Amino acid sequence: MFTVIAVDISGRHRIDAGYYMVCAAASVEITPTSIEKINEINTEAFLFSKPPELLDIVKIIENTAAKIKKKGALIVERGDLFNLDENLSKPMFTQEIRYQESIGERKAIELAHYVSLSTRNLLLKETGLDIRIHENDEDNIDAGDNADDNNKDGADVE
Amino acid sequence: MNPYQEAGEDAHRNVILVMRTDPDSDAEDNQRKLQEFSELTKALNDKVVDVITQERYPDRKYNVGSGKAKELAIVARDKKANRIIFYDPLSTSQIYNISKLCSEAGANCRVMDRFQLILDIFAQRATTHRSKLQVELARLRYELPNARILVSLSKKEERAGWGGLGDYEDSYEQDIKKRIARINTELKKADLEEEARRVYRHKNGFFIVSLAGYTNAGKSTLFNALVDEQTESKDMFFTTLIPKTRALIINKRKILLTDTVGFIEDLPHFLVDAFRSTLEGIYFSDMILLVVDFSEPTEHIRKKLMISHETLWEKSTSNIITVLNKSETMKPAERKKKLEELSHLIYNPIFISAKTGMGMPDLMNEIGMCLPPLVTQTISLPNNESGAAALSWFYDNGLVEEILYGKYMTFDFSATEDVMAKVNDIISKTQATL
Repeated sequence: MFTVIAVDISGRHRIDAGYYMVCAAASVEITPTSIEKINEINTEAFLFSKPPELLDIVKIIENTAAKIKKKGALIVERGDLFNLDENLSKPMFTQEIRYQESIGERKAIELAHYVSLSTRNLLLKETGLDIRIHENDEDNIDAGDNADDNNKDGADVE
Repeated sequence: MNPYQEAGEDAHRNVILVMRTDPDSDAEDNQRKLQEFSELTKALNDKVVDVITQERYPDRKYNVGSGKAKELAIVARDKKANRIIFYDPLSTSQIYNISKLCSEAGANCRVMDRFQLILDIFAQRATTHRSKLQVELARLRYELPNARILVSLSKKEERAGWGGLGDYEDSYEQDIKKRIARINTELKKADLEEEARRVYRHKNGFFIVSLAGYTNAGKSTLFNALVDEQTESKDMFFTTLIPKTRALIINKRKILLTDTVGFIEDLPHFLVDAFRSTLEGIYFSDMILLVVDFSEPTEHIRKKLMISHETLWEKSTSNIITVLNKSETMKPAERKKKLEELSHLIYNPIFISAKTGMGMPDLMNEIGMCLPPLVTQTISLPNNESGAAALSWFYDNGLVEEILYGKYMTFDFSATEDVMAKVNDIISKTQATL
């Protein structure tokens, strides 16, 4: 069994006025094919006014994983680091990091993803942001074929 | 000229391989990919006459740089190449542009990408109706997004006037869509039959074991060694395309062993979709023997295991045994070191050599230990015609221990819980007793 910290970020898309993101880091004991034990989970919320760049993502991951007591290699999805080659992404971190490889690691990332996604949904619900998002969605549905144009307008305003 | 026209359809085609790599990409990994690319062409009996590589970001017009594309056309002419195969997926206009360059240089060859090469290999290996349909479906799905441009480019010289082409393009695209729908319906029927067979096997207490792994890992050789059969096994990619299932006796119990198609890196999604039913055979088995060619360098094994895990992870819930094949070529210390380096990817490792038979008893034991436990009951059947008929059912579905013949035939019957659930029905029909 190995101890790894699986990390996932939810909400890397703009809603309303910013990027409401939640990063989850889960310290888990895994075998090559399964999760055996969950040691600890930490979630952190982040708000950005502009799209997060690579170094922002590195900071988000490091800050979230730093609060985990039981250490292990960080496991992230390749897409979270803009599909950057592993050799290039490794030196950016202060601790060992690698992309998901085994079934166990993929399951760990899946777990972190569920945690970050549901935490984000809860936070949006608490802050009432989800209602505004829902209203925006309905506007887009009403607009029918012009939904894309609405998004384009939104991007221009930003 | 039709850019898809094949020139020189002879048995040994001269092939030029072209591989573009991104700057800053891993050189060793690129080398491995190139070697695998070259191995793929062997599966079609083609002869690689030249390999052209370039390190740059993709060019919109030719994929490689325009200078390299011109150089490629001249090499193709000088080496009398029949095919130019790119590692990267090519767009229809890229194929057209490169074909045009080649024909201007005097070379007569077909330009294609790795996906089309894999499709060609699959088309050549498909022998059953179902696999032919799967290959046809994959080809059509590959063609569909490019159908309009393909017709547009093919009929470029025939354009009668403004707006005169629309019908051609639409009808060709519609034609492909209709054929896809027809094949899908036909495949669905075949898949239902396959699913029914799978359900039947599970209900009747068969333990199903699938051989999975990267292509050319030695799955067919292991299959032959386990079931003592002569299934075609070659040092070649995609030797097995159609799954084969045979019965195998371990610890007096009958299990079904299935040999399946191998995985490969960057397998296009249309091919995965077309062969989904074949892959489902692996996902729904009770145990997967993940075969690995352990004689390869560690980094290659890591990549191949990663791809295998990626293919299996979402749907498979089966037990996995990692079978480290071709281990006879290494010393124990070397094996141990490799195993440690790959420990995060290797589960339940067993060192074997399918060729020499090394480690085969260990593998059999490991499979035997994973078999679901048997329940035993003492059964008495009337010693008459109906009792004899029922007895043959017991022989087919479980283990029958020594029979005592008298007025009744009495024996101990061991079987899985699924089978035991049916015993009462059988007994009530024959008026036997438990």
